[in-house]
Amino acid sequence: MALSKKEISILIEIIFSILFTLIFLPYFYRNQDTSFVFSELIGKVSEIIIFSAVYFSIAYSILELSYKSKITEDERSNMINSKSYKLGYLLYEFSLFIFIGTLINYSIFNNGAIIFLVISLLLIVSVIKSIYQFYLHRTF
Amino acid sequence: MELKNNLKELRNKKNFTQDDLGKNVGVSRQTIISIERYRYKPSLELAMKIARELNVKIEKLFYFT
Repeated sequence: MALSKKEISILIEIIFSILFTLIFLPYFYRNQDTSFVFSELIGKVSEIIIFSAVYFSIAYSILELSYKSKITEDERSNMINSKSYKLGYLLYEFSLFIFIGTLINYSIFNNGAIIFLVISLLLIVSVIKSIYQFYLHRTF
Repeated sequence: MELKNNLKELRNKKNFTQDDLGKNVGVSRQTIISIERYRYKPSLELAMKIARELNVKIEKLFYFT
Protein backbone atom coordinates (compact mmCIF):
# COMPACT_ATOMS: atom_id res chain seq x y z
CA MET A 1 0.00 0.00 0.00
CA ALA A 2 1.67 3.19 -1.21
CA LEU A 3 1.03 6.11 1.10
CA SER A 4 1.28 9.77 0.21
CA LYS A 5 3.28 12.18 2.40
CA LYS A 6 0.05 13.62 3.74
CA GLU A 7 -1.17 10.15 4.75
CA ILE A 8 2.14 9.36 6.43
CA SER A 9 1.97 12.65 8.33
CA ILE A 10 -1.57 11.80 9.55
CA LEU A 11 -0.35 8.38 10.75
CA ILE A 12 2.54 10.07 12.58
CA GLU A 13 0.07 12.45 14.23
CA ILE A 14 -1.97 9.47 15.43
CA ILE A 15 1.18 7.84 16.85
CA PHE A 16 2.13 11.10 18.62
CA SER A 17 -1.33 11.32 20.20
CA ILE A 18 -1.21 7.71 21.39
CA LEU A 19 2.34 8.09 22.76
CA PHE A 20 1.33 11.23 24.62
CA THR A 21 -1.62 9.45 26.17
CA LEU A 22 0.46 6.41 27.10
CA ILE A 23 2.75 8.70 29.09
CA PHE A 24 -0.06 10.08 31.27
CA LEU A 25 -2.89 7.54 31.25
CA PRO A 26 -1.21 4.84 33.37
CA TYR A 27 -0.60 7.32 36.21
CA PHE A 28 -4.24 8.40 36.35
CA TYR A 29 -5.48 4.86 35.76
CA ARG A 30 -3.59 3.75 38.87
CA ASN A 31 -4.93 6.75 40.83
CA GLN A 32 -8.54 6.60 39.67
CA ASP A 33 -9.82 6.32 43.21
CA THR A 34 -7.40 8.86 44.63
CA SER A 35 -8.95 12.09 45.84
CA PHE A 36 -6.41 14.72 44.92
CA VAL A 37 -6.45 17.86 47.01
CA PHE A 38 -7.25 20.87 44.86
CA SER A 39 -3.69 22.27 44.82
CA GLU A 40 -2.32 18.86 43.91
CA LEU A 41 -4.86 18.55 41.09
CA ILE A 42 -3.97 22.00 39.77
CA GLY A 43 -0.30 21.01 39.93
CA LYS A 44 -0.92 17.84 37.95
CA VAL A 45 -3.04 19.62 35.34
CA SER A 46 -0.38 22.35 34.96
CA GLU A 47 2.25 19.64 34.58
CA ILE A 48 0.21 18.04 31.78
CA ILE A 49 -0.37 21.38 30.04
CA ILE A 50 3.31 22.33 30.15
CA PHE A 51 4.45 18.86 29.15
CA SER A 52 1.93 18.67 26.30
CA ALA A 53 2.93 22.13 25.01
CA VAL A 54 6.61 21.11 24.95
CA TYR A 55 5.88 17.60 23.63
CA PHE A 56 3.62 18.73 20.79
CA SER A 57 5.90 21.66 19.87
CA ILE A 58 8.81 19.25 19.45
CA ALA A 59 6.72 16.55 17.78
CA TYR A 60 5.10 18.93 15.28
CA SER A 61 8.39 20.68 14.56
CA ILE A 62 9.92 17.33 13.60
CA LEU A 63 6.85 16.53 11.50
CA GLU A 64 6.92 19.98 9.88
CA LEU A 65 10.61 19.69 9.01
CA SER A 66 10.45 16.14 7.70
CA TYR A 67 7.11 16.00 5.92
CA LYS A 68 4.76 18.93 6.04
CA SER A 69 7.02 21.38 4.24
CA LYS A 70 6.87 19.11 1.19
CA ILE A 71 3.11 18.60 1.32
CA THR A 72 1.01 20.66 -1.09
CA GLU A 73 -2.10 22.00 0.59
CA ASP A 74 -4.83 22.47 -1.98
CA GLU A 75 -8.62 22.70 -2.22
CA ARG A 76 -9.07 18.93 -1.87
CA SER A 77 -6.97 18.72 1.29
CA ASN A 78 -8.76 21.79 2.68
CA MET A 79 -12.10 20.10 2.04
CA ILE A 80 -10.92 16.87 3.69
CA ASN A 81 -9.63 18.87 6.67
CA SER A 82 -12.93 20.71 7.06
CA LYS A 83 -14.89 17.44 6.94
CA SER A 84 -12.66 15.76 9.52
CA TYR A 85 -12.59 18.82 11.81
CA LYS A 86 -16.38 18.98 11.62
CA LEU A 87 -16.52 15.38 12.81
CA GLY A 88 -13.97 16.22 15.52
CA TYR A 89 -16.09 19.16 16.66
CA LEU A 90 -19.20 16.97 16.89
CA LEU A 91 -17.26 14.33 18.83
CA TYR A 92 -15.91 16.97 21.23
CA GLU A 93 -19.47 18.14 21.87
CA PHE A 94 -20.55 14.55 22.47
CA SER A 95 -17.56 14.03 24.80
CA LEU A 96 -18.60 17.09 26.76
CA PHE A 97 -22.00 15.51 27.38
CA ILE A 98 -20.33 12.27 28.48
CA PHE A 99 -18.03 14.26 30.76
CA ILE A 100 -20.84 16.27 32.36
CA GLY A 101 -23.02 13.15 32.67
CA THR A 102 -20.22 11.27 34.40
CA LEU A 103 -19.57 14.16 36.77
CA ILE A 104 -23.23 14.34 37.75
CA ASN A 105 -23.70 10.59 38.14
CA TYR A 106 -20.49 9.57 39.84
CA SER A 107 -19.35 12.77 41.60
CA ILE A 108 -15.74 12.04 40.72
CA PHE A 109 -14.52 15.63 40.95
CA ASN A 110 -11.06 15.81 42.58
CA ASN A 111 -10.40 12.19 41.71
CA GLY A 112 -7.75 10.86 39.37
CA ALA A 113 -10.67 9.41 37.45
CA ILE A 114 -11.70 12.83 36.17
CA ILE A 115 -8.34 13.38 34.48
CA PHE A 116 -8.29 9.80 33.27
CA LEU A 117 -11.71 10.40 31.69
CA VAL A 118 -10.68 13.70 30.08
CA ILE A 119 -7.44 12.32 28.62
CA SER A 120 -9.22 9.19 27.36
CA LEU A 121 -11.97 11.24 25.70
CA LEU A 122 -9.44 13.61 24.10
CA LEU A 123 -7.41 10.70 22.76
CA ILE A 124 -10.46 8.91 21.37
CA VAL A 125 -11.77 12.04 19.63
CA SER A 126 -8.35 12.98 18.28
CA VAL A 127 -7.64 9.48 16.95
CA ILE A 128 -11.11 9.07 15.38
CA LYS A 129 -10.74 12.48 13.69
CA SER A 130 -7.30 11.56 12.33
CA ILE A 131 -8.44 8.11 11.16
CA TYR A 132 -11.39 9.70 9.36
CA GLN A 133 -9.01 12.21 7.77
CA PHE A 134 -6.77 9.33 6.67
CA TYR A 135 -9.79 7.44 5.29
CA LEU A 136 -10.90 10.50 3.28
CA HIS A 137 -7.42 10.94 1.85
CA ARG A 138 -7.42 7.29 0.75
CA THR A 139 -10.89 7.26 -0.74
CA PHE A 140 -11.68 10.79 -1.90
CA MET B 1 -26.35 13.04 -14.58
CA GLU B 2 -22.76 12.51 -13.56
CA LEU B 3 -19.76 14.77 -14.11
CA LYS B 4 -16.91 12.96 -15.86
CA ASN B 5 -13.73 14.12 -17.55
CA ASN B 6 -11.11 13.35 -20.18
CA LEU B 7 -8.27 14.50 -18.00
CA LYS B 8 -6.17 11.35 -18.25
CA GLU B 9 -6.33 11.20 -22.07
CA LEU B 10 -5.69 14.92 -22.53
CA ARG B 11 -2.87 14.90 -20.00
CA ASN B 12 -1.20 11.96 -21.73
CA LYS B 13 -1.54 13.73 -25.08
CA LYS B 14 0.42 16.65 -23.66
CA ASN B 15 2.96 14.27 -22.11
CA PHE B 16 2.38 15.64 -18.65
CA THR B 17 2.80 13.42 -15.61
CA GLN B 18 0.25 13.76 -12.81
CA ASP B 19 2.94 15.43 -10.74
CA ASP B 20 3.81 17.94 -13.53
CA LEU B 21 0.20 18.93 -14.05
CA GLY B 22 -0.39 19.17 -10.30
CA LYS B 23 2.62 21.47 -9.87
CA ASN B 24 1.60 23.64 -12.83
CA VAL B 25 -1.90 24.23 -11.47
CA GLY B 26 -0.88 24.34 -7.79
CA VAL B 27 -2.37 21.12 -6.46
CA SER B 28 -0.98 17.79 -5.27
CA ARG B 29 -0.55 14.68 -7.41
CA GLN B 30 -3.23 12.99 -5.28
CA THR B 31 -5.75 15.64 -6.30
CA ILE B 32 -5.05 15.01 -10.00
CA ILE B 33 -5.41 11.24 -9.39
CA SER B 34 -8.74 11.82 -7.60
CA ILE B 35 -10.07 13.95 -10.46
CA GLU B 36 -9.02 11.37 -13.04
CA ARG B 37 -10.81 8.65 -11.08
CA TYR B 38 -13.96 10.85 -10.87
CA ARG B 39 -13.74 10.83 -7.08
CA TYR B 40 -13.17 14.51 -6.63
CA LYS B 41 -15.03 17.25 -8.48
CA PRO B 42 -12.71 20.26 -8.74
CA SER B 43 -13.77 23.84 -8.18
CA LEU B 44 -14.50 25.97 -11.24
CA GLU B 45 -11.21 27.80 -10.68
CA LEU B 46 -9.17 24.60 -10.65
CA ALA B 47 -11.08 23.16 -13.63
CA MET B 48 -10.32 26.31 -15.64
CA LYS B 49 -6.65 26.24 -14.61
CA ILE B 50 -6.37 22.61 -15.76
CA ALA B 51 -8.15 23.39 -19.05
CA ARG B 52 -5.83 26.33 -19.66
CA GLU B 53 -2.77 24.22 -18.84
CA LEU B 54 -3.90 21.51 -21.27
CA ASN B 55 -4.91 24.14 -23.81
CA VAL B 56 -8.45 22.80 -24.24
CA LYS B 57 -11.90 24.23 -23.68
CA ILE B 58 -13.38 23.38 -20.30
CA GLU B 59 -16.39 21.62 -21.89
CA LYS B 60 -14.00 19.31 -23.75
CA LEU B 61 -12.33 18.43 -20.48
CA PHE B 62 -15.44 17.99 -18.32
CA TYR B 63 -18.78 16.60 -19.50
CA PHE B 64 -21.99 15.12 -18.15
CA THR B 65 -23.05 11.54 -18.80
